[in-house]
Formats: sequence, structure tokens, C-alpha cells
Amino acid sequence: MRAVVVGAGFAGSLVAKVLGDNGFRVLVLEAGAESNEDAVSRYRKALVKSPLVPFRRTAAAPSSDYVVDTGPHSLASPYLRMNGGTGTAWTGITPRMRPDDFRTGDLGRGRNWPLSYDDLEPSYRAAEWEIGIAADADEQRRHVPIPEGYRYPMHALPRTFLDDAIASVVDGQRIDGRELLVVGTPQARNGVPVDGYHPDGQRCAGFASCVPVCPEGAKYTPHRTQRRWSSTVELRTRCAVNRLHADESGRVTKVDYQRYEDDTSGRHTRHSVEADVVVLAAHAIENAKLLLLSGLANSSDQVGRNLMGHPVLLTWGLMPHPIGPFRGPGSTTGIETFRSGPERRERAPFRIEIGNWGWGWSAGSPGSDTAELVAAGLRGTALRQAVAERVSRQFTLQIEVEQEADPANRVTLAAERDALGTPRPSVHYALSEYVKDGLLASKRVSDRLFEMLGAEDHTAYKPDDGHYFEHNGEPLRYWGAGHSGGTHVMGSSPRDSVVDQWQRCWDHPNLYAVGCGSMPSLGTSNPSLTMAALALRTAEHLVSRAR
Amino acid sequence: MDAFVELSAELTGFSAEELRSTGLVEQYRALAEGAPEAEIIQLWYTGVWRGAIPTERAYAEGLAWKAVGVAAPGTAAPGFGSWERGPRRSAR
Repeated sequence: MRAVVVGAGFAGSLVAKVLGDNGFRVLVLEAGAESNEDAVSRYRKALVKSPLVPFRRTAAAPSSDYVVDTGPHSLASPYLRMNGGTGTAWTGITPRMRPDDFRTGDLGRGRNWPLSYDDLEPSYRAAEWEIGIAADADEQRRHVPIPEGYRYPMHALPRTFLDDAIASVVDGQRIDGRELLVVGTPQARNGVPVDGYHPDGQRCAGFASCVPVCPEGAKYTPHRTQRRWSSTVELRTRCAVNRLHADESGRVTKVDYQRYEDDTSGRHTRHSVEADVVVLAAHAIENAKLLLLSGLANSSDQVGRNLMGHPVLLTWGLMPHPIGPFRGPGSTTGIETFRSGPERRERAPFRIEIGNWGWGWSAGSPGSDTAELVAAGLRGTALRQAVAERVSRQFTLQIEVEQEADPANRVTLAAERDALGTPRPSVHYALSEYVKDGLLASKRVSDRLFEMLGAEDHTAYKPDDGHYFEHNGEPLRYWGAGHSGGTHVMGSSPRDSVVDQWQRCWDHPNLYAVGCGSMPSLGTSNPSLTMAALALRTAEHLVSRAR
Repeated sequence: MDAFVELSAELTGFSAEELRSTGLVEQYRALAEGAPEAEIIQLWYTGVWRGAIPTERAYAEGLAWKAVGVAAPGTAAPGFGSWERGPRRSAR
């Protein structure tokens, strides 16, 4: 069997591995270039340390900055076209979805999945062992069903001093009748292994730059899976797929791609390759773009629709005493209790991450603090003390709010073309009242938490800030999480969905679209683990069909 | 005595020895001697000179991080679990 996998990111690398291990000849076509060796150096020298800044990008295969944004809101979620994909820059936080996240349609909000948590549970375990997750099963069992006897491959990472400081105040307290508990967050970075597990790479030594780059390789990236590929898997980078062809029966027969050498121009040569099975794994927006360009898989008219992200509300303040920010992974714990419950019918649920990196994300600390204090006239020892006093108490709450599937939020093809002559993706994206109500509810919970903690609240959303809006008269702002999904939505009927529960396109028996684009809901979890579980499930399905 | 180092020490609150230990004195003198105070402070504290970070070392040795008692992210490996401990206090 000859499989062509489009995209060498998170999902594509996993699918290629399983297929290669089971005798498939696999060709992986990656639009981006090979990853660059100088990412850490580029990160250190970057003025703004945004997620994509360390990585090599090319004119021929631009990353998310080439998406045409038609509003009314901005998706604000970057993705990277480079070998390894956005999984190179990701944060490495891997909570599972909750069982009720698979049934959001029942709440009258968004769509149901054609499979349940229990159906996906074995694949979650497989993904956690393939990626290498550090977490404690007993602790996770307090908010999500983990089978008895299951062990994560690594013990939970130690919490930060900040985590303990917050837990010592809020654990056991209540907000809106909900009992608060600070819970460790599963991490895709190396800790202490359990018996029988051999971590790939160094143990996390606390560089505190996981997003965008871990200098010691303690964080999982798809490159790790690629190193385990069998010799039957071939990777070709700088190959941008621009069209799939199907015969009258619907079988996909051929994949066209454009190959370029030069990072700075659109100069290219054209190629085609035949395949028995094609797996699109190019990112939610890119998968939709390819299906639309090819005129395939769209009998339901759902290709590109149901685009979802995780609008993030940041709130930031000063703890009453120094806690030592900017140490360890970006977030090691969270408060899970607002992810579910009856309120979910009325407003979007949310997950609260405790942010270990001061006001780095929310306000650009410590550069911004220094500038402010210098402008206020501080010099010398007074300045040094003021910076220490300000920064050493900083913390941020990073609150991910669910966004429901809405067919009006969609990817289409823009009139504008990229350097290869291919139409650029265009995105129409709006936050619903349901999402805005969720953002506002999360702000109110944050206010209560700050009060309990005796924290000095420095949160401020100003009309000049990006992604600012007002809701019920209150100023709000959202940030992007980089979690795009829904654009080739999975369902139980070809009438209203693009792929089936195996991520196979209803219209094409040998065409699969994998990744977050298949997800009918994102819940409140960072979606990469669920994407990985789905990818492994699809790969096993392909292997069993080939036998 | 070195006038640039002396002025830098006065502006930043870090001693001449602390400034010399960064290895950046000569580079910064070439860039910033005679520059306005605020620019000299920004360079020492954040490694930023007129909208760019000239070298990796300029970022890694930023005095804002040293004032707080932590390493600039992505530049040092304090060790597995080091984040559990209480914060180090700044030297003064």
C-alpha cells in the first residue's frame, strides 16, 4: 500500500509512523522547509518573543500570517508551516477532553461527536505513551475518568512555588457553589519515568521558554516521532500540495504538489504522485483550503465551516509576596471545576491555567515594567528595587473559553494568491454571545480568585488593545491560543459532516482528513492530545483495513 | 575610573563589578556612550538597543532578570524541580 500523508506536523507524523511500522510505503509531503538549527538563538535575539519567531519560514509556503482575515473578529491563532508544524512551537500541555465535551450538541451548543469519550479512551492512553506525558492518574481522576490501574509514562512534574501558594489559599473554597481545587496539568515534557518507560530526550531543567522552543529537547515535538519512523517512510520537505484528483467513483488517485528550493521566492517545479490512500494532515485551515481547491469532500457543504478556536482571557496581578515567576514550564496546574456543569447550557465553560511566567504574555514583562519605572524617573538602586518588587510577585491566569461549532465561522478561498499562485485561505470568524458570556463569567471568577488571594489586580483592557470589545457594558479582551479546529467536521451522517468517526471523508473512500479540523467541539482542553489520539485511532483503522 | 561604567552603575543600581561580569561593557560603550539615560538603562536592563537585541548575550544578561533573581527564559537550566523552591531574593 502506498500512502501519501500531507503535512509533517503532529497528526501527520503519528499517522506516518503507525503506517510505516505496519508495512505501508509512506510518502510525507511537507509544504514548509526543514526546521532550522538556530531556533534558540533566534528566540533570544527576537525583540518580541512570539510563538513563530524562532522558526524558518519561506515565501513559497507562508505560515498563518498569510491568512486573509475578513472579521468581524480575528482568529488570532498562529500556525507554522515547517517540518514538525505548529507542534514545534506548542506549549506541551495535554489535558484530556471530558466526557460531556463529546456531547455539546445535546446542550444545544455546537455539535455532538459520533464517538464517545469511552470510544476514544484507549487512544488517549496510546497517545500519552507515544508522546510521553507526565501526570498522576489519581490526580487526573478527580476531574476526568481515567481507568483504574492506568499509569502515565512519567510521574507528574513538580508544581511551582506559585501553584502551591495559590492552592494553599483556594483549595476547598467555593465560588458560585463550585469547590475549588488546584490540579496538576498533564505535560508533554520529560519528568521522572515510571518503571519500564524510557523517555526520549533530557529531563526538563527549567529553561522556561517551552513556547516557542525548549533548548534541551525536553518537550515533545513531532521530530521525536519522526526519528522513530521506519525506513519505509520518506519525508519530502518544500513540497506544497495544491490539488488532489479523484476518479468517477470518488477514489482519490493523484496528488499534485509544487516543489521549491529557494526560501525567498515562489519559483517552483510541478509534480504529481499516485497513492492508494491519502491522509491530509496539514492543519485545520490548510486541510480545508486543499479540499476547497480540489473541489472534494464537500457534498455536505461543511468543508471550511465550524471553525473554532479557544478565545483566552488573561488576568494578571501581584501576589502579596514574591513567588518567583519565569521559572519552570509555562503552566503546571489549573482549576478544572468550571469546565463543566449546568451553566454550560447558558454560557461557554472555561478552564483556568495558572501562568508561571509573570506578565510575559499579558503585558510584556519585565521589559514593560522597566520602561514604565524608568519613565517615572526611577534610577539606580531605587529602579533595581522597584523592578524586583514589581516582577517577583507577578502571576497571570490564562483562561481558555470554549467556542461552539458555528457553520458561519468558516474558511474560504480568497481572491488573493500566494507566491506559488495558490489562493490564500480567507477566514470569517465571530465570537457568539455564548462565548462572550463565558469570557465575562470567567472574568468574574477571576475577580473572586484575586480577592481570595489578596492579590493586587493589574488587569486592564483598553479600547486601543487588539481584540478588545465590550460585553454587557464591561470591557473585555481575548487572546488567541493557536487551537484551530472544526473545518472538516466529523459526524454520523454524510449529509451534515465531512468525515466519519475514522476521519475518512464520506465522499471519498481512500481520503482522510486528520487533525483538529475533525473535532466537532474543542471543549476546554488544549486539543493536541485529542488530535494525537484521533490520529492514532485513524492509523490503526487504516492498518486493519489493509489486512 | 571608567566614565561609561560609572554612569551605567549609577543609572542601573548595579555595581561596576556586576556590570563588568556581563562581558558587555565594551559592546555597550560602543553603542551607547553619550546616549540619553533612558536608552542606556533600557540597554542594560533588557538588552534592547533602538528596537533590536544586538546579541544573544545582551538578552541573557539583561539586568531586569538579575534584579528579580531569575535567568532570562531560554538561557539557563536551573535544574529539574528548581521551580518548586521559594524565590531567591535579589542581591540588594
